[in-house]
Amino acid sequence: MTPLKIFGAVSAAAVVAAGAWLWILIFTDDFSVAYVAAYSSTKLPALYKISAFWAGQQGSFLLWLLIHALAGLVLIYRKVSAETLSVYFFLEALLIIFVATNSPFAANPAQVSEGVGLNPLLQDFWMAIHPPIIFVGYALLAVPVSLSVGALLEAPASRDWLEPARRWTLAAWSFLGAGIFIGGYWAYKVLGWGGYWAWDPVENSSLVPWLLSAVLLHVINLARKKSAVLPLAHIAAVFTYSLVIYGTFLTRSGVLGDFSVHSFVGSEIGLTIALANAAVLLGGLAIIFVRAKKFPAGRMYESYGESAFAVLLGMLLLIFVAVIVWLGMSMPLLTRGTAAVDADFYVKSTAPIALVLVALIIYSFVRFGRQISLGGKIAHAGFVLGLAAVVISSSGETVTAELSNGVEAELAGHKIIYRGQIFETRRKFYVYEVDGQEVRALTKLRGNGEDAAREPAILKNISGDVYIAPHPSQNLLAQELILERGRFAMDGELVYTFDSAEISYDAENNPVRASAKISVTDGINSETIEPQIEVTADGGTSEAIEIFNGRRRVRLTGISGDKTKARLEILPALAEISSVPITTTLSTKPLIWLLWLSAAAVCAGTLAAVRKEP
Amino acid sequence: MRKFFLAAMLLGFVAYAGINLSENVTPYVSIAEATASKNSVQVKGLLDENFAPRQAGDEFIFNLRDEVTGETLNVKFSGVRPDQFDEAHHIVAVGKYDEAAETFRAKKLLIKCPSKYEGQKPQ
Repeated sequence: MTPLKIFGAVSAAAVVAAGAWLWILIFTDDFSVAYVAAYSSTKLPALYKISAFWAGQQGSFLLWLLIHALAGLVLIYRKVSAETLSVYFFLEALLIIFVATNSPFAANPAQVSEGVGLNPLLQDFWMAIHPPIIFVGYALLAVPVSLSVGALLEAPASRDWLEPARRWTLAAWSFLGAGIFIGGYWAYKVLGWGGYWAWDPVENSSLVPWLLSAVLLHVINLARKKSAVLPLAHIAAVFTYSLVIYGTFLTRSGVLGDFSVHSFVGSEIGLTIALANAAVLLGGLAIIFVRAKKFPAGRMYESYGESAFAVLLGMLLLIFVAVIVWLGMSMPLLTRGTAAVDADFYVKSTAPIALVLVALIIYSFVRFGRQISLGGKIAHAGFVLGLAAVVISSSGETVTAELSNGVEAELAGHKIIYRGQIFETRRKFYVYEVDGQEVRALTKLRGNGEDAAREPAILKNISGDVYIAPHPSQNLLAQELILERGRFAMDGELVYTFDSAEISYDAENNPVRASAKISVTDGINSETIEPQIEVTADGGTSEAIEIFNGRRRVRLTGISGDKTKARLEILPALAEISSVPITTTLSTKPLIWLLWLSAAAVCAGTLAAVRKEP
Repeated sequence: MRKFFLAAMLLGFVAYAGINLSENVTPYVSIAEATASKNSVQVKGLLDENFAPRQAGDEFIFNLRDEVTGETLNVKFSGVRPDQFDEAHHIVAVGKYDEAAETFRAKKLLIKCPSKYEGQKPQ
């Protein structure tokens, strides 16, 4: 065992132990750890307790490190050179620094008996698996760059690293692509804004490495046949991994706080990541520069009719697209926070390039089809079909209208009737009838009954989707009452009296639970209710309690510390809520299933090509 | 010939990207600057509590208040009330000021929520 291998084995064991420990903390509801209190709760289902691991910034870095460390064991087992291992473990050390300076094990300064829980939007199967798949992609991209720089250090003219690098890049690219596509599918199916890709910096920061891995893959393939392409393979490997770290910097450092709708905010890790990024990019390029004299001489292609030329031209186009996306997402950084670009910029700039790229792929299929492996054929066909599906599916119509319960309307050529709402525990459905078929839009509710995540209803047809997003006016019907102990208050029909309150405290005198006894009367009958608030990090309100057989619902939203005042929210009966007209957006998405199918084809084709080649 | 080809492509691309970029950059400005500008801009602010947001057909209308100066800006967003609008920490409106109507016509709203990692998308 060399010291390098010992480092690899020990760090992998330590990281696995840390990961297991984080899961134990989550599963035992240890809210003395800030991360657990912020992303988990006692009521979270087991699947989402697993995914609470990577719900936040600190945990997702640990996940990345975990996958990186495990892939390191594979490299040791495969007996790669000491130079390659050194580079790989240097990159691992950078990740260890990220985790160590941004630990998921930090103690919780506040004492709570219940965690905030996972954001309901993220409580979705696809969102549970999306981060690990993306991070497998990021982690595995460290292998080709390590093989590349390792080879530069050991034997710059050697091309032996290309075949293993090809297979690792394919695997990384396939996972990164799958992660991106799953993220898009989740956005479409859950967020209800009607699209799957918003050109948000967080999305772009994974798209750029994906585009560059595609470049890396093609130049590696070409370099196996043409020694003159070897320097390009090294450059591509260094740039690809640098942009993985750059994307991390952009989205984790908080520099985009005001520009991205879903970047992490309030983090001080920016400088560390920026330094790591500079080290990888400048270090890598310096080594390439120093070793440049030893690269084999030759021509990359002999004539414009050669397949090598078509591939190189295609890669140049992909780099153009990557540069455009990079420029757009970096705009806030380049202009020191004074400007950004809108989504039109990306669409307008990349569309003509994509068109040329499609033409080039079709030309290459016709001319050089025999040289392309089966996996390659499937992936390229998926790519072209996918772009076609993007254009076709966005050619649909979008109409917004207010729909009254039970009244038929015609929107974008579809007959639609709003059928009210169905309430279940912790969730409800908006029910619609579209062209005679019933579809339901799920809305997840918070513990207190407020809407937490509103999903669209989707009617799937062979011709495409009919996408229906409800937009209720929030709390339009709620009425707030402030009760003083011993006094009456009225909501127009019923009289409420605040009898008494209980607040329980923990050892450090923080409130844990609060409840109030309230009697309600309509002049003839009376009822007594005892709503209870569980205090969590983000406050809390009680569940809505039905009174007088559901004529009203009452929610306790606060009690003053001296127990003299209580705040109630009076909500109308569920039936009344159902009868209120609802603003609804209906859009049609022609052939959108073709997009999901092509995305799967790209990943499957890529994965099939991982097979060893002679 | 080869070098010429590559140089021409790169040059063409730089010009192309540059033109696209200059046409689509939206600067990040204060409310005062937004009302003075004729171009597409991004304005950040808090929701003005004195004006109840409302949906009028295809338009969602609210007032944005500058965090520092307290100035307000009437915003008409061509779309529906974004989810989580009520929980917004602050709001970024992207669009153009319409002098005649004395209103800011927003194409996009970014809703920043207090929680750390939100999947909320612009509408």
